[in-house]
Amino acid sequence: MTATQPLTTGTSSEWVGAPLAIQVSGLTKVYSDGTKAVDNVSFSVDEGEIFGLLGPNGAGKTTTIKMITTLAKPTSGSAKVFGVDVRASPQEVRQMLGFVPQAISVDGDLTGYENLLIFAKLFFVDRQQRKKRIQDALEYFGLTDRANDLVKHYSGGMMRRLEIAQALVNRPRLLFLDEPSIGLDPYSRRQVIEQIKELNREFGTTIFVTTHDMSEADELCHRLAIMNLGKLAIMGAPAELKKSVGGDVLTVKVTGPRPSSFPATLGSVVSTEEGIIRILTADGEKAIPRITDYLEANGAVVESVSLNRPTLDDVFMKYAKAPLQTEGSFQEARSSRRSIVRHAR
Amino acid sequence: MNNVQRVASSALTIAEMEARKIRHDSTELWMRCVQPALWLLIFGEVFNSIRSLPTGGFSYIQYITPGVLAQSVLFVAIFYGITIVWERDVGLLTKMLSTPSPRISVVVGKALAAGVRGIFQGIMIFALALVIGVNIRFDPLDVLGVFVVVVLFAMCFASLSMTLAAFLKTRDRMMGIGQAITIPLFFGSNAIYPLSMMPPWLQDVSRYNPLTYVVDAMRSMLLTGDYSGLPLDIAALLTATVLFIASASILLKRLIE
Repeated sequence: MTATQPLTTGTSSEWVGAPLAIQVSGLTKVYSDGTKAVDNVSFSVDEGEIFGLLGPNGAGKTTTIKMITTLAKPTSGSAKVFGVDVRASPQEVRQMLGFVPQAISVDGDLTGYENLLIFAKLFFVDRQQRKKRIQDALEYFGLTDRANDLVKHYSGGMMRRLEIAQALVNRPRLLFLDEPSIGLDPYSRRQVIEQIKELNREFGTTIFVTTHDMSEADELCHRLAIMNLGKLAIMGAPAELKKSVGGDVLTVKVTGPRPSSFPATLGSVVSTEEGIIRILTADGEKAIPRITDYLEANGAVVESVSLNRPTLDDVFMKYAKAPLQTEGSFQEARSSRRSIVRHAR
Repeated sequence: MNNVQRVASSALTIAEMEARKIRHDSTELWMRCVQPALWLLIFGEVFNSIRSLPTGGFSYIQYITPGVLAQSVLFVAIFYGITIVWERDVGLLTKMLSTPSPRISVVVGKALAAGVRGIFQGIMIFALALVIGVNIRFDPLDVLGVFVVVVLFAMCFASLSMTLAAFLKTRDRMMGIGQAITIPLFFGSNAIYPLSMMPPWLQDVSRYNPLTYVVDAMRSMLLTGDYSGLPLDIAALLTATVLFIASASILLKRLIE
């Protein structure tokens, strides 16, 4: 798991001479308590791409973003944004980017308009352009009607959209979104995802997004890297990653004793939990009867078998050798964001 | 824009942000007038009748008016460390620092905002003094001078508070340290009694207490009209302010790393 396996053919190496939005090499962050949050990470992002960093909470995604956005100093390694080194010229780098952190980054005690105005000023947007950019951003995110309401009266989805709008008054070439859909209801989540895609399509904005949600990464990203325990496990386009897992995934529901070993000729077990075994196999349809026979011969009772194409979950299992995200910690993240909103009110 | 202009422009923006918040909801400002009012109306009135303190020929309530003003500004300013921790806890600080605005402008901006609140405290206490008939010099230049001292002092302690926030990092700890700092500073200064009444060791300590210089400066402008100590007062305050703004700006990154 030390080296990153490049899978995509359309990566930067093919586009010699094209500007690289992000170029990271050997990036490492060791905190003062000795924790290695990011461990020798290298990757690059092309201009105009939506690039995703996928991994469980605590994988080092946010720390990676913080180093690229000049908010944290790398312990070693380098990061460049459109060719500008983050350590040498942090201010110049920040002028090119927009960053929407995971936690709430709008001020509830100000109106939507004021939140945008303050950030337009902090980005040194020209006085003549300020008003138009703010109006454009409000309109783009459907917030014009509520522009003069205090943000603490906004819904979670509106707040999220305003947070993105805030980063956009800078007209950034590169937009960082840290867990953009966390804590949102399904409808708002859909809206936010669509708007991110449109932003990329319409304006060619390069987007760097972190998420622990596989389906989101799957639908949003042109390319993604899977991160676990501070390291990149694999990188590539979602479809290719899934193809690289190879074959089909059988989900087998069993009761009774389970065999302690599983012959490699039948496939490989990717996960087992409470009576459900997920098995990766080359040709799923043919494997069903053989696997059923094997399990039953070993004393298990097979209740059902279903056949699926591999998901990013399986990709993660294969390359990072760990489950991507337990429901528990996801719920936790959601409720903590909610409680912040409540506090803010 | 050069760097100095950038810092100034962003600091004003941060201060504007605070001013806009106060405009939407000024309840807190009014609440903060209760305590100084109690000091003047109750503490001041009661001790006024004792007349045993060497207050240099002034009534006790006259004597403590500058002290109460200084104290109320101190209480406002020390609260800014909590604000910055709160803004860190939500994502606001991270987002502000991801803009090209220099870090120091966040600190100076917050400090200026503390100054704005301080000015409001000043206005309220002057108004209160007028209403209850405290005889202080209402010379325009003196009043202006007092406001300059108020703003500097608020900036000084807001920056100290933000420096501490970089180490303590949680709101609960900041609340605790706020209490632990303000009360000793207040009682270890010349705010409500002259230094000459203190035991010698406390007199020595109080000479390193910025509040002592602030109260001395305010008292000279509002009561005595003797400006001989003023240059030292202002110099001491200015030094402390610059020092704390620098330390808060350098240490601010500890909050987001």
